[in-house]
Amino acid sequence: MSETTPLEAPGNQSRREERAERLRYDDRIDLDTKVSSRQAAVLMGRSLKLLAQARGLFAAKFAFSFGFMASALLLPWIGKIITDNVLLQEPFGETDVPYPPFMQPLVVFVDGMAPMEIMLVVAALLMLMLLVFGTRSGSFEEVGLFEGADAATQGENAISAGGSGAGGLWGVAEYMVHVRLTQRLANTLRTRLFARLTHLPMTTLDDQRIGDSIYRVLYDTPQVPGICYQLTIEPALTLIWGAVNLYLIQYTYSDVAPELVWIAWSAFPLAFIVTFPASALVRRTNQAKRAAGAATTNAIEETMDNVYAVQSLGGMRRDAERFAERSRESFLRERFALAVGIALLVVVLGLMVVAAIYITLLVTDQIIEGVMSPGDFFVIFGLIWGILETATDIGSFWIKLQGPVAAVRRVFFFMDYPVDEDRVHGPRLGPISQGIEFRDVAFSYPDGRRTLSAVNLELKMGEVVAIVGPTGSGKTSLAYLVPAFLQATAGRVLVDGRDLADVDLDSLRSQVAYVFQEHVLLSASIRDNLLLAKPDARDDEVLRALEGAACMDFVGELPDGIDTVLGQSGDTLSVGQQQRLCIARGLIRDTRVLILDEPTAALDPKTENELLEALRSGAKDRLIIVIAHRLSTIRNADRIVFLEDGRIRDVGDHDSLMEKAGGPYRRFVALQGG
Amino acid sequence: MLAEDFLAAIAKADRADAPSMSARRFVELILRAWPFIRPMLKHIVTLLAISAASAVFIVVLWAVASDLLMNKVLVGDRLQPLQAVLLGAGEEYVTTEVADEDPMTVEQRRIVRDRLLIWFGVGGLVFLGGLATLPYYGTWIRHNINQSLRVAMIERAEHLSLKYHSHARVGDAVFRVYQDSAMIVNLLEEALVGPVTVVFWMTLALFLLFFLSPEVAVAVVAVGIPVVWLTVKYTPRIRRRARENRMANSDLTSRLQESFAAIKVVKANRAEARILERFDADSHRALNAAFYLRLEIVLLSAIAMTAGGAVAIAAEYVLAGWVIEDRETYLGAAVAALIGYTVWNLGAFNYARDQVEEVRGNGFWLIRLWCMVQDLFIGLERAFFLLDLEPDIVDGDDPSAFPVPLHSVACRDVHFSYELPDASTLPVLQGVDLVARAGSVTAIVGATGSGKSTLMSMILRLYDPERGRVAFNDIDIRDLRVDDIRANTAIALQKNVLFAGTVADNIGYAADGKTLAEVEAAAKVACADEFILGLDKGYKTELGERGGKLSTGQRQRLSIARAVLRDTPILILDEPTASLDAVTERQLLANLGEWGKDKVVFLITHRLSTIRDADQIAFLEDGRIVEIGPHDELMARPNGRYRGFVEAETVGLQAAG
Repeated sequence: MSETTPLEAPGNQSRREERAERLRYDDRIDLDTKVSSRQAAVLMGRSLKLLAQARGLFAAKFAFSFGFMASALLLPWIGKIITDNVLLQEPFGETDVPYPPFMQPLVVFVDGMAPMEIMLVVAALLMLMLLVFGTRSGSFEEVGLFEGADAATQGENAISAGGSGAGGLWGVAEYMVHVRLTQRLANTLRTRLFARLTHLPMTTLDDQRIGDSIYRVLYDTPQVPGICYQLTIEPALTLIWGAVNLYLIQYTYSDVAPELVWIAWSAFPLAFIVTFPASALVRRTNQAKRAAGAATTNAIEETMDNVYAVQSLGGMRRDAERFAERSRESFLRERFALAVGIALLVVVLGLMVVAAIYITLLVTDQIIEGVMSPGDFFVIFGLIWGILETATDIGSFWIKLQGPVAAVRRVFFFMDYPVDEDRVHGPRLGPISQGIEFRDVAFSYPDGRRTLSAVNLELKMGEVVAIVGPTGSGKTSLAYLVPAFLQATAGRVLVDGRDLADVDLDSLRSQVAYVFQEHVLLSASIRDNLLLAKPDARDDEVLRALEGAACMDFVGELPDGIDTVLGQSGDTLSVGQQQRLCIARGLIRDTRVLILDEPTAALDPKTENELLEALRSGAKDRLIIVIAHRLSTIRNADRIVFLEDGRIRDVGDHDSLMEKAGGPYRRFVALQGG
Repeated sequence: MLAEDFLAAIAKADRADAPSMSARRFVELILRAWPFIRPMLKHIVTLLAISAASAVFIVVLWAVASDLLMNKVLVGDRLQPLQAVLLGAGEEYVTTEVADEDPMTVEQRRIVRDRLLIWFGVGGLVFLGGLATLPYYGTWIRHNINQSLRVAMIERAEHLSLKYHSHARVGDAVFRVYQDSAMIVNLLEEALVGPVTVVFWMTLALFLLFFLSPEVAVAVVAVGIPVVWLTVKYTPRIRRRARENRMANSDLTSRLQESFAAIKVVKANRAEARILERFDADSHRALNAAFYLRLEIVLLSAIAMTAGGAVAIAAEYVLAGWVIEDRETYLGAAVAALIGYTVWNLGAFNYARDQVEEVRGNGFWLIRLWCMVQDLFIGLERAFFLLDLEPDIVDGDDPSAFPVPLHSVACRDVHFSYELPDASTLPVLQGVDLVARAGSVTAIVGATGSGKSTLMSMILRLYDPERGRVAFNDIDIRDLRVDDIRANTAIALQKNVLFAGTVADNIGYAADGKTLAEVEAAAKVACADEFILGLDKGYKTELGERGGKLSTGQRQRLSIARAVLRDTPILILDEPTASLDAVTERQLLANLGEWGKDKVVFLITHRLSTIRDADQIAFLEDGRIVEIGPHDELMARPNGRYRGFVEAETVGLQAAG
């Protein structure tokens, strides 16, 4: 549509509104995206439960982090020894500041040595720590690869960049544990979400965009390991680190600088108070960027999957423009979220800079007045800085979780969405022996469209039933009720006298084969396409099914026969041939009930009649339901169900229906025969 | 690009050895990416200049400030002359260069400290200011670069011939357009400027270190040599892992896309558990690929870091000895004007140590960058692979104008075969001759797989014939513009492809500048108006995924309306009425007959009632037209192929009549 069409532009403003609506519309199911702070907390709690899937790795990661932290405690004191006792050559015990207990063995060991002897011991100790912990050599905090500038391209790093604060042997080991932990969490969630999405009801799947599913499964789930980490190990380590530093300060500098500690800790409430009001904004901007990213994914996926149509209809420019618009919007939303994040970071860091300057002021005062030694500056500044960082971390703990929460909400939205299986915990259905009965059945779509009303019908095993009627009369809806792709909104559907709503879905669908109007083939071999329906089928079963659906004449001509690999959605075959393969897939399961939804395009009349004859004689107690327009097919059915406007107008065999003068079926046939 | 070339390229890419990445290929990729980066160059240079300026400011500030803080404020030494100028301090603060001069008084040290802290505050403001603006600016630049590459890739992918698409996976295109293309945003700043700045800081630090102690500087350089050797040895492994990582994630995306595209069949066959198993397997493969790629990087880094760390500790030991000896630094008095590092003291020791750390830290980062760049180039290679595929359907050098008015569409001895993924061929058309004139309806009839739809694809020039030609008014369509051909041909497809969007959007797809009234008129011709108005929002009703909310017959009519709206001289209806009931069909055909009076109309169908009214019927069998003529004429042929077909269709219907 061009920009100027009256379709879009009665006025500028309403056009803009409509465009905004359209963009939002890419989400047709997940519309209410607001999250309150309480809901956010609940989502975090649910993310945490995933940790149960990785207890061992989690414990190992915790132990590794803790061990490394202990080693890191030594470092400032070693620095003090080098400064005071080596470089400035002062004897131990010269200042008021005592070494903490864990340093005593070392201090006792080197006390009285010449400065260079002390340095030798210290250097040896540092070498050991370098090898084991990678001390002072850098860490494997994040072994990220380059990533793009939007959330979709940052997911891979979020799952697998790993990390360890350590380097050296410890770092390598901890790194491995960490990556496996985050991968386990993400994989658990994404496979669960995938399973859940595949179990959505048919009516929901009609509305669920494929690109959106890709986005949620692949790009939203990676935020979960981050949430788990930020809720457990990170605060635990932060608190322990803070407590240890606090203890050290108390122990060594209690008379010197108690106010420093309090100043540093005040960063905690300050950071929290400053950032908390922004939490809803962070969630909203992050939700928007992800929804816009999903819309971009939809655009690529749809264009690529329908490239034949796009090219035939000359829609290349239009589709490229649509993609460009989606992608631009997605990047814009990314930048909005980024701007909010940056603003908050600047506020928090600003607090820290002010605090750091103030601390420097106080500490240098003490040194200038001779209360502390110059060596103390680094120790005390390091310690206070540690507390300051801890306090700010804890203070901004909540705000940092809000971005990931927006992603996790999108995941849990579909984890919570009701699926077919939620409804059914009933007993398994035995082999269907009597038939299917509709009692006062009505069906309306969630959007209110009513397609079936007051349907009463009994279908017996052993029958071939044709469902006939004008386009849009509810034929497919009626057929969909049998394998419970749709659930009657009123009335009951009974199988062998048992209400479908109460039986185990798996035991039902395993006995019903449904061949759809739209022919969907996987880009796999012909054999694999049939094995999708029956994984353990033998070759002769595959061949028999192909023969039954009149596929052998063209399959036999293919160079690799049943092992021929089909192109994307079967493109190398004609549409009719594709549909025949779909029928073969319906046949291979050899189910009690077979539903053929308009096989007309695939089969010429002769083949179709042969197929139905073969099915009829092959298993006399089978139920075959054919939705058809072609008279030659219809008239061979045992019974004909004539539908109009969602109501059954006529039921009977061809001859008896034709005898009704002015009957709707007779009228229909008269028009058909022309 | 022909399918064989594509398959050969895939096979080559799949070979187990590491992808070769010569220096030449690097340069080629950078040149290939340049047109996308070029428009942003001005901004990139601005960004880099601002970043560099603020970094230099902070580094210089810290160099001077660390001396001021440690030697002057903490210890009490007098200021160097320039320092005094910076702090606005008088003569009495400045060192007299006399050996036993008095230190600064407590009061003086306080004043120096206060003024120093003001400088810290300025540094903090510069830092925060940069932090607030530069990442946003940088992201804006990246987004613009990535946007132009993404759009170019989508455009290219849309124009690639169907030969390519029938062998490619949708998920792979998603991955290339999305993930692989994103690498370009890092090309200039991270992959080129990044290492350059890292090397710059490394060299600067080495330089500063050299003036304090050439011995330590040489030792630091010496340890770098084996590390570089090791990195070079390691590189092919990292490339191999990086490529596997991208391929595995691309396959995972494809698996996901294909699962959802086939979801109805999956559900009907209770295959949910099976596709979940496959998804889980693909997911694990992708995660393992990511894990092992990074493990290679971690191991390489661990070795390099340990070697570098050992040298740093050794250097500290030596330097400590020099401090104790009060040994003169290499440059000694030459730097005395600005910094008090004429002899080894606490400040000089810390400063030298910081420089060693700087070299080591940058070296470590350089190795990391090197590894990341390998992955970046593998990604770009995949992105440009798609972009560099040449569509084989392209305009000729000097295309003719589309003939107006169009009198005829002719196929002359048209041959065509499909290429299968295993590179064998499947002949479809084997010498088709056909002339269709304006104002006539040509019905194409034949068994499934006889090549009816393929013949229509030739008229749209979705494929080029291997032999023979398709001509409009005797002009070979290869001499016309592809865009003109498709702009003048409307098709209602057998697969009723609808796109997400409103009903009006779908009818208006690929027809620019049409008013709502025109859309409604087209819908009326296609007998779709009535049911559309019955939808909850009429023409503004949103259709589900792939039009999922409509019945097949309804989708079919939207497809036809879409073709009608475009009002082109050629109209192709591929099985237009297969899912329509007889009443609707009759009405629709009557409408079309009226509407398409001066057009070339092709009709593919099985329906006898539809075929009968055509001006000519072409019966296609084994890739040839074996009979052609009007219904009555063909029916008059004893043992005619068409007659046989009609008889099979009407068998048993006489009784029904």
